[in-house]
Amino acid sequence: MTRDLPADPLIRQLVLQARRSALSRRQMLQGAGIGAAALALAACAPQGSSKPTPAEDNSDEDKTLNWANWPAYLDEDEEGNHPTLDRFMAETGIEVNYLVDVDDNNSYYGKVKDQLALGQDIGADTVCLTEWMVARLIRLGYVQELDEANIPNKANLTPSLADPDFDPGRAMSLPWQGGFAGICWNKERLPNGLRTVEDLWGSDLKGRVGVLSEMRDTIGLIMLEQGADITDFGESEFTAALDVFREQVESGQIRNVKGNSYLEDLANEDTLAAICWSGDITVLNAESGDKWEFIIPEAGGTFWNDTFVVPIGSSRKTNAEKLMNYYYDPAVAAEVAAWVNYVTPVEGAYEAALEIDPELAENQLIFPNEETLSTVHVFRTLTSQEEQTFGAEFQSVLLGV
Amino acid sequence: MAFGAFLQAPAPGVAAAADPAPRRRSKVALLLLLPGVLYLAVFFLAPLVSLVMTSFQEPVEFGDIGQYQTAFRWENYLAVVETYAPHIFRSFSYAALATALALVFSYPLAYFIGVKLRQAPFLQSLALVLVVAPFFISFLLRTLAWKQMFADEGWLVGALQTVQLLPDGAHLTGTPFSVVFGLTYNFIPFMTLPIYASLERLDLRYLEAADDLYAKRSTAFWRITIPLSLPGIVSGTLLTFIPAAGDYINASRDFLGSTETAMVGNVIEANFLVLQNYPAAASLSILLMAAILVLVSAYVVRSGTKDLL
Amino acid sequence: MARSTFAESGADLRLDGITKRFPGFTAIEGLDLSIAAGSFFALLGPSGCGKTTTLRLIAGLEEPTAGRILLGGKDVTSTKPYQRPVNTVFQSYALFPHMSVLENVAFGLKRRGFKDATAKAHEALRLVELDHVAQRRPAQLSGGQQQRVALARAVVNRPALLLLDEPLGALDLKLRRQMQLELKTIQGEVGLTFLHVTHDQEEAMTMADTVAVMNKGRIEQLGAPEELYELPRTAFVANFLGNSNLFTGEVVSADGDTIVVDVGGRRLAVPRVRAQRHAGEVTIGVRPEKLVLLPDEPTPQTGRNVLGPGRVIDASFSGVSTQYQVAVPGIGIVAVFAQNLGFGPVMQEGAEVWLTWSVDHGFGLSDSPEPPATSAGDDVDTSALALQRRERLQAELEEA
Repeated sequence: MTRDLPADPLIRQLVLQARRSALSRRQMLQGAGIGAAALALAACAPQGSSKPTPAEDNSDEDKTLNWANWPAYLDEDEEGNHPTLDRFMAETGIEVNYLVDVDDNNSYYGKVKDQLALGQDIGADTVCLTEWMVARLIRLGYVQELDEANIPNKANLTPSLADPDFDPGRAMSLPWQGGFAGICWNKERLPNGLRTVEDLWGSDLKGRVGVLSEMRDTIGLIMLEQGADITDFGESEFTAALDVFREQVESGQIRNVKGNSYLEDLANEDTLAAICWSGDITVLNAESGDKWEFIIPEAGGTFWNDTFVVPIGSSRKTNAEKLMNYYYDPAVAAEVAAWVNYVTPVEGAYEAALEIDPELAENQLIFPNEETLSTVHVFRTLTSQEEQTFGAEFQSVLLGV
Repeated sequence: MAFGAFLQAPAPGVAAAADPAPRRRSKVALLLLLPGVLYLAVFFLAPLVSLVMTSFQEPVEFGDIGQYQTAFRWENYLAVVETYAPHIFRSFSYAALATALALVFSYPLAYFIGVKLRQAPFLQSLALVLVVAPFFISFLLRTLAWKQMFADEGWLVGALQTVQLLPDGAHLTGTPFSVVFGLTYNFIPFMTLPIYASLERLDLRYLEAADDLYAKRSTAFWRITIPLSLPGIVSGTLLTFIPAAGDYINASRDFLGSTETAMVGNVIEANFLVLQNYPAAASLSILLMAAILVLVSAYVVRSGTKDLL
Repeated sequence: MARSTFAESGADLRLDGITKRFPGFTAIEGLDLSIAAGSFFALLGPSGCGKTTTLRLIAGLEEPTAGRILLGGKDVTSTKPYQRPVNTVFQSYALFPHMSVLENVAFGLKRRGFKDATAKAHEALRLVELDHVAQRRPAQLSGGQQQRVALARAVVNRPALLLLDEPLGALDLKLRRQMQLELKTIQGEVGLTFLHVTHDQEEAMTMADTVAVMNKGRIEQLGAPEELYELPRTAFVANFLGNSNLFTGEVVSADGDTIVVDVGGRRLAVPRVRAQRHAGEVTIGVRPEKLVLLPDEPTPQTGRNVLGPGRVIDASFSGVSTQYQVAVPGIGIVAVFAQNLGFGPVMQEGAEVWLTWSVDHGFGLSDSPEPPATSAGDDVDTSALALQRRERLQAELEEA
C-alpha cells in the first residue's frame, strides 16, 4: 500500500522495485527452506495467547526516536532531507532516525512478530502499518496505549476516522496517511473509459486486467459491486465476491494479481485497466505521460489508512507521541500531503493547503470532500478466524490451487 | 546433517581431487574440523530440527493467526500434499526443463571457452568474465528486465506475432514459458562454470587418440568429451536443479509468473508470510528437501560419477 | 579405408618431399623417406628435430605444407586420421581414463564395426599378457602395464602401419629394456610395419632394422644400426649415436687407399673409402673404444695412427670398462674406453700415455662439428617447436 518513488527513467523504477523485493526475498529464503532459520525462530517463539507487557518509558533521558515507514511517504527535498522532520527535531531536540523499512505489511510483520511476542524492542519506536494489520497488532496486544495528554492535536483527527471498530476512541493508534482503492485505465487504449468494476470483466479486456494482491481492496471492490456493505458483511458475501474473483482469474480475464508491481504492468501496457490505489495514478501520470485515469467505481471504493502505532517493546513512547502531535498540526500535515499525494487524516490541512496550492487542495484524491468520502468505505475488521479462512481462500486463488 | 554432507559431496566434481587413501587422523585434524562441525550444528542441524518440529505443530485452540503449539500432527504433510501436489510437480517439471535447457545452452559455451579459447588466455579470461558478468547485476533486476522485454507491447511479442510464432492475443509474461525461461537464464552461469572447469582440464590427446582409433569427431565427442566432462555436467545440473526447484522469484506473480505458475517456493512464501501457516510452510519445506534429496541421490548414483571424482 | 577388415600385412610407407611449416619456423624441409613393408624402422633424433612432427603427419594429426604421403602405394595425404589404416602408441599412452582396459582396447574395433570386438580385444590383451586386468581402469595399472595396454589398443586394429611415439620414455631403465624386447617380439609375431620415434639411440639400435637419424627437420643419415655406428657421415651422427673423438685438419695427402690429415702437426690417416671428403679441411674421427692406451711411445707402424704423449686427466671405472680422458697437447681431450681385461684401471690419473688405433677404424665426415654454443639455440628451437605444435593441434581441433 505504497507508491513508487517519482522517477522518470525505467531503470530507476526497476531499482526501486528490486530494492523492495529484496527484502521480501530475504524473508522468502527462509521460508523456502534454504535457510530455515526464520521458521526455527517461529518454532522457538512463545506460543499461546499470553500478551507481552509494555516496556518502561525512558523518553525523558533518551531523546531519540526510530520511525519505520513506507518508501516515499514523507516530504523530501532534493538533497534527500525531510524538511518537516528536520523542523520537528530542531523544535523538540529529539533525534529521529527515519527508517524506510516497510514494503509490505506481511513481510514487516514476519520480521518483527517474534520480538513483539516477547515484548522486545523491534528497532522501531513507532511504525505506520495498514489498519488491518494494526487491528491484528492490537488484538494480539503488541502495541502500547497512547497518552492523549501528549497529543493535544489529536483533536484535529477527521471525525470519520476517530472511532474504528478495532480501536475504539483511537486509544492505541493514529492514522498517518490514507488512500482509496478504485479502478483505473489507459486513456489512450480505452477512450470510452470505465465506470464500474463489472466493466473490467468485458471481453475486450480479456487478459489485460490487473488486480491487487491486497485482499481487502480487490475483494472489497467486488463486494461493493455486488451491493454488499463492506463495513458489515458475513461469510456469504465474501464468498460470493471471491467466486467472481476466482472465475475471472481462472478464465484468464485477470492477467495478474500483484502488489506494488502492478504499476509496471500498467506502464508497459501488459494491463490496460486495473484495480489500483489512488495516489499511484497521480505519480504514474507524472512519470509516464498523462495516460491513465483513476475513478472510484460507481458502487463505491475502499478507503484504507496507514496508521501510527507504538510497538510494545519501545521505551520511547512519549517521543513517539510528540512526533504524532507534531504531524497532527494542520500546516505540517498539509505540507506532507502536498508531497506524498495521499489523503491526510488531519482536519484543517485542507485550509492550510489552500494557502500553499489551491489547485492541490481541490484534488479529491488528496483532500476529499464529504461527497467523495461518502463513496468510499472501510473494509471491516476481520476476526482472527476470518483473517485465517478468508486469507487462505484468497491465497488459494493466487496460488492457482 | 546427512543432507549437508551430501550436498558437499558433488563439490569435488568441480575440482576433482582424487584422494582414495584415507588419511591418518590426528588430533589437530579433528580440532580443525570442529569449527565446521559447530557451524553446521548451529546453522543447519538446529534449524532443521526446529523446522521438523514446526511441521508437526497444530493450531492453538481459539488461537489467533500464526499461533501454533507443539504436537505430532503428521496430517499436516498429508494436507499440503493433497492441496499442493500440482505445485510440487510443477516445481520439479520446471526445474528439470530449465536444467535441461541450461545444459543445452551452457555446454557449447563452456566447450568454446574451455577448449577452443585455450590458446588465447586473454580471450578465455574475458569470456569467463562475461559469463559471470550478469552476477554483477542484481538477480531481481535482471529478472525484471526480462519481464519488460516480454511485455505484450514489447518488440519481442510483436516480432513473434509477426512471424506467427505466437497467436494474436497470446502473452509471454506470466506463462510457464517465461518462468522456465527465467529459471534457465538465471542459472546458466551455475551450469556453465562447472562444465567449463572440467572441459578446461580435458586432455586433448584423448581426442587425438580417438581420432587415431577410427572415431569420427561426433563419436569422439559422445564417447570421450562428454564422459570426461561428466563431473562438470553433474555438478552443473545439481547447482541448477536444486535451487531452481526451490525458486520462488521467477515464478512469482511480481516477476515472470502468474497465478498459473506458482511453484512450491511461492506456496511456502504465501503460507509463511501471508497466512502465517508455519506448519504448512515447514512441512512443504521438508517435503521439498526430501524430494530433492531422493531425486539427486538417484541421479548421482545413476550417472556413476564416483569413478571420475 | 575398408571397414571390418584387417590389413593383410604391413604396408610400405613413402614420404615424398614433405615440408611442414609452422608460423615462424620450418619443422621439416623436403623430407623423403621410404619404409619397407614389415620392417621395424626407427626415427632417432633429439627433441625438436622434427621426428614427432613427422609421425603426426603420417598419423594424419597434422597436415603437410607440401609433399605427399603414400601408404601401400595409396596417397593418404589428405585423409583424416580416422580414415587411415594407421595406429599410434602415444608417448602419454592417452588411455581413456573413463573406460576399462578392455573397452580401451576394443574402442578402435568397435568404431570399425567389428562384431567380435570384445573377443579380439581379449586376444590382444593376452598377447601383452594383461588379460587378467581387462576390467580395471587404466589408472589402476602400473606404467609398464599401461604401456602394454596402449600397444594392445593399437595393435589390435592390425594397422598397415604402427606408429610408436617414444612409447617407452616414461618407463624405468629395466622395464624399458624388457619392453624393447617384447615390442620387437610382437612386431615379429604380427608382421606389421613399425615406425618408432625415439631420442634414445640405444633403444633405436636395439630394436630397429633401419634407423634414420634426424636433425633440424632433415634426415642426416639412414641405415642399419651397425652401419650408422661404425661409419657416421656427419658430426651430428658421430656424436648423437654413441661418442666419437673428432679431429679437424687439412688433408696433406690423398694418395692410394688412405688420406692423411694434419691435425695439430700430427698426421692421422683414414681409409679413403671411409672418408666423405678427400681434400681441404676435413674432420675425421674414431670411436673411443677403438683406441689403445700405451705407457710407452710405440714404434710407428703402417696401418696405425699414433697420438702422444698425452696425460691422463681422468679415469672413471664403470665395471666392464674404464673411461679415460687424455689431454694431448695441440689436439685437446681425447676419450678412451678400455675394457677391463685385468683388475681395475691400468693407467692412473696423471700418467703419461700414447694413444694408437687402426687406420681402418677411423672415419671421415662430410662436415665439421659445430661449436658447442649452438646447443642453447637448439633449446629455444625445441620449446618454440613444442609451442607451435600445440597451437597447430588446437587449430586443427577447432576445425572439427
